[in-house]
Amino acid sequence: MGLILIALLLPGLVGATLILLSHRVGSRTAVGVALLATLGALTATVAAVATHARIDRPWAGEIGLGWIFESDMISAPLLVLTAGISVLVVLHGLRHAPTGGTPGLYYGLLLLIEFGALSTFWTRDLIVFFIAFEIVLVPMWVLIHRFGDDHDPAARRAAALRFVLYTALGSSIMLAGILAIVTQVGSSDMRAILAAPPQHSQMLIATLLVLGLGVKVPLWPVHSWLPPAHTIAPTAGSVLLAAILLKMGTYGLIRVPLTLTPDGFARIAPLLATLGVVGIIWGGLICLVERDLKRLIAYSSVAHMGFVALALGTNSELGLRAALIANLAHGVISALLFFVVGSLKERWGSVDLAVVRPALRETWPGLGFAVMVGLAASLGLPGLAGFWGEFLAIAAAWNPAGGGTALAVAQSQVSGGSWVVWAAEGAVSTELAFRGLAIVAALGAVLAAAYSLRVAKVIWMGDAAPRDRAGDLSWVELVIVAALILAILALGLFPYAVLPSPSGPAVLS
Amino acid sequence: MNAPVITALAIGVLALGAPVILAAGLVARRAVSVLAQLLALAATGLLVAAATGNHGSYDLPVLRTTRPGDHVFGVDLPARLATTPTGITIALSVAAVVLAVQVYAGWYLHDDDRQPAFMATVSLFAAAMLLLVAARDLVLILIGWEVMGWCSYLLIGHWSQRAAPRRAAYKAFLVTRLADAAFVIGIVALIAITGTSDIPSAAGCPDTGACAVPDQGALALAMTALVIGILGKSAQIPFQDWLVDAMEGPTPASALIHAATMVAAGTWVLTLLAPLLHAAPAAQWLLAIAVAATMVYAAVTAFLQVDVKRILAWSTISQVAVMLSPLAVAHSAGQGGDAAAGHLFSHAIFKALLFLTVGWLAVLAGSTAARDLDGIGADSTFAKTVWGLGLISLAGVPLSVGGISKEHIIDIASWAEGGGPGLRQGIVTVALLLTVAATAAYATRAYEIVAGRRSGAGPDTRAPAHRPAGPLVKLVLSLLAAATLAGGLVFLLGPLDPGHVNVALLALSVLLIGVGVLIGWYLRPDDTVPPSRAMRLASRGFGADTAYVRGVAVPVLALARLVAFLDREVVETYVSGPGWGAGIAGRLATWGHTRERVATNLVWVLIGLLAIAGVALWG
Repeated sequence: MGLILIALLLPGLVGATLILLSHRVGSRTAVGVALLATLGALTATVAAVATHARIDRPWAGEIGLGWIFESDMISAPLLVLTAGISVLVVLHGLRHAPTGGTPGLYYGLLLLIEFGALSTFWTRDLIVFFIAFEIVLVPMWVLIHRFGDDHDPAARRAAALRFVLYTALGSSIMLAGILAIVTQVGSSDMRAILAAPPQHSQMLIATLLVLGLGVKVPLWPVHSWLPPAHTIAPTAGSVLLAAILLKMGTYGLIRVPLTLTPDGFARIAPLLATLGVVGIIWGGLICLVERDLKRLIAYSSVAHMGFVALALGTNSELGLRAALIANLAHGVISALLFFVVGSLKERWGSVDLAVVRPALRETWPGLGFAVMVGLAASLGLPGLAGFWGEFLAIAAAWNPAGGGTALAVAQSQVSGGSWVVWAAEGAVSTELAFRGLAIVAALGAVLAAAYSLRVAKVIWMGDAAPRDRAGDLSWVELVIVAALILAILALGLFPYAVLPSPSGPAVLS
Repeated sequence: MNAPVITALAIGVLALGAPVILAAGLVARRAVSVLAQLLALAATGLLVAAATGNHGSYDLPVLRTTRPGDHVFGVDLPARLATTPTGITIALSVAAVVLAVQVYAGWYLHDDDRQPAFMATVSLFAAAMLLLVAARDLVLILIGWEVMGWCSYLLIGHWSQRAAPRRAAYKAFLVTRLADAAFVIGIVALIAITGTSDIPSAAGCPDTGACAVPDQGALALAMTALVIGILGKSAQIPFQDWLVDAMEGPTPASALIHAATMVAAGTWVLTLLAPLLHAAPAAQWLLAIAVAATMVYAAVTAFLQVDVKRILAWSTISQVAVMLSPLAVAHSAGQGGDAAAGHLFSHAIFKALLFLTVGWLAVLAGSTAARDLDGIGADSTFAKTVWGLGLISLAGVPLSVGGISKEHIIDIASWAEGGGPGLRQGIVTVALLLTVAATAAYATRAYEIVAGRRSGAGPDTRAPAHRPAGPLVKLVLSLLAAATLAGGLVFLLGPLDPGHVNVALLALSVLLIGVGVLIGWYLRPDDTVPPSRAMRLASRGFGADTAYVRGVAVPVLALARLVAFLDREVVETYVSGPGWGAGIAGRLATWGHTRERVATNLVWVLIGLLAIAGVALWG
């Protein structure tokens, strides 16, 4: 219990204090305190997850509201990811802290985002989940608005506003769904809801939840807040957006509609899968012609999250495995790409692909190597993190009724038991449609190769140019890049380490 | 010890070797090539040990989505390796070629500042191929398959300062990756049929009848998709053009890609899945038509090339078609697989020899063009011997290693041993016989370019463009050349099946080789004069590249622009719409409030109250 409190309150309180005292603390103090706070939170998170710590106290018992924090194999990897990425974004400030406000404010915002994200992944109470989900929005808005790309203030304001309004709209729709569940069941405790799921209008509730969470994922066609937000946000903001905020959307999809309104979710799942596949193709095609590298990676996120949506839409055990690993993989891969592209933007001034620049392979081979690992992982190279999610998503779509259902796995995580195989009763009529989706998704993976190597051809390969040792990766960047590359390799080689094990309760061993 | 475990160790040595070689390149540049060679040697040694170990199967602790030993509901992906005598023989030939390539690259890229990256990539490439050879798991096969594709991209694009390798690498990856979309579908479809990625249970499925599929349609679909993927990686029509451009890579890379790894990988995959392929006639027909067309087309095109490396590239395309052909037509699954694996082994030896020899000669000549290589080896018995032995094996002269495996294939294809042949067998047999003659023709031309001297000048005065090859390189070439003769022993004594000697067919192919040699000798083009129109067309692959660009790249890019436009103009509109709406409403409200006429505002308030009252009463 103490560990969870430390992991949550350390970033929360330190972040709030930094913001309150932002005019008094200097840049060194701010980064030092923030780094200590994130490292402490990381240690506490890992320890809490490993010891399976939990908190369970009533808060407003009359309406079934409680402080329930518990991790399982669906949330544990995301908790560690959040705490780990937070350390890296703070560390990145040592190399390049954006202007636009005081350092105290900047690091305070980063810590508050971490606090919100950790709470979102940890809680087992729907209302607290919603609140935590919302906590993240405002600091991210300020981060984009104040610390974003300083070339164009109007664009910055527009991107920040669009981000906050769009995702707040999504959250409101989600809130409607959550309230519909809570009023029917009389409790916001996920275990209570699981024991007595809502009986009426599950389909409507599931639709509201999927739509609301879909904005955050982002699901096509409600994705258009993402590219401007990513493009304008400072490097740390882009990384947090891609690696953590998008994950909150997919995590929510698994935790709420899939687990708590299973019948309703099963009925709209094919639609979710279809939107995911449209996103894969849509994002992939735009990446073929997009000129701004940051925007390109943002659109590639739309494509990658499309695979997660497809996997969830199959509503099968294999699909859930795919969604969980694809979600994490995208977290580390997009973090690496946004860090590296941020470094390039800082050096080049812009990341317009139409501008001819010395090839990275020639001038800055270290940065070039990092870019290539990121691109290889992004196109789904086996051995790296991106492969499993894409392959398993396609396999699940081809075989949606095979094996157990996703629900069995997801519920077993909440209730703490092992899961049983559910009778495969997939409708034959949708089977053919899912096979069509699998084929289109496989072609989408070809687009990923085409745009990734297009980027490689433009920025990595090029005419001979002198090597510039001084301008290559600084030690801070080296640490960040090395940590992420190791994570990408580890996820690619040992994906089972972060997936629920079928034979036992959810303990990270 | 258990052979699959040792094989897994060998794969691990090569795969972990890649980052180690890269890191060594940062600290001790000179030690890199020795380190890479030692790693390849260690892997070869481990495989030799594996060959004497107990065959069996082993589930890898990596590259899996469930913990080892976990009971899995539904779809099982066990990450299983297994060894057989044939499998180990193929693995050993791969390791031997890799060792040869690493030794050769130590000399060839000695002055290249990216040698560590090259050798690290070769090491990873080798690990991927060995994984594919040892795998008995569809997912592991896909992993090896894709990693090889990526490594080939890096190797082909090694000299990325020039535009041609950059484009060639991009093209190679995209063409094969496009076909891989079908390969992935084939694999997931097979997994869906059997519920596991384990190949013995998958491949035993049609025999045991344990499959969940009530109809043959699912299997036919899966195998057809898989065959399309294999046509891509094996550079068969219509995907053939990437391999020729891939000649932009350094010659050791070409030797590796052509001889024992990437293009031959599809043959091995189909060998493993031969029972399933045999149960899917639609896929067999597709494969038969594609390879029959490819082997003849590529052999004729090879004859018309103006660049010796490109002759070899087209020869690979043709020979891989030959390699795949028995799988498409054999009357039993086992036979087709044996014949295909045999030719895979032979081709690895003689194609590695040919590429490494031409790389050496090209260093002396400073180019791989036939015009520049003309007579380069005329004064060197060594050059003439190794080049000649490689070409003899390529042409399939009896008793050479290539001859033995090729005869086996013709024997299988014609069903001389198996009963009545059908139309499919007829087509493939005719194509094979035509290919025998055409191969002899272009082999003759290739020999004549290097060994004959057309220009009639005196002794060679060309200075080497590079430091001369050391004894180690010559040793590699000598060993490979010896293997083209001694390799036949592997067929006689080892696990590879030499097939039956059919005297009539043997006589026919000897006759055809003779005809081919005569054609090659009398019709060979003069390389000192500008090439003819046909040769210019052939050296551009008869416009296949243009077809790829116009048929695929241009439409896809047009679609991409359309989608980008829709994203900007349509999706944005409904996002901005509420914003505008809110803005307009806000302005109207402001306008309403700034009016100073109290009376008007009171009227509005009154209307509002009435409306509320109305709603309340209505309810």
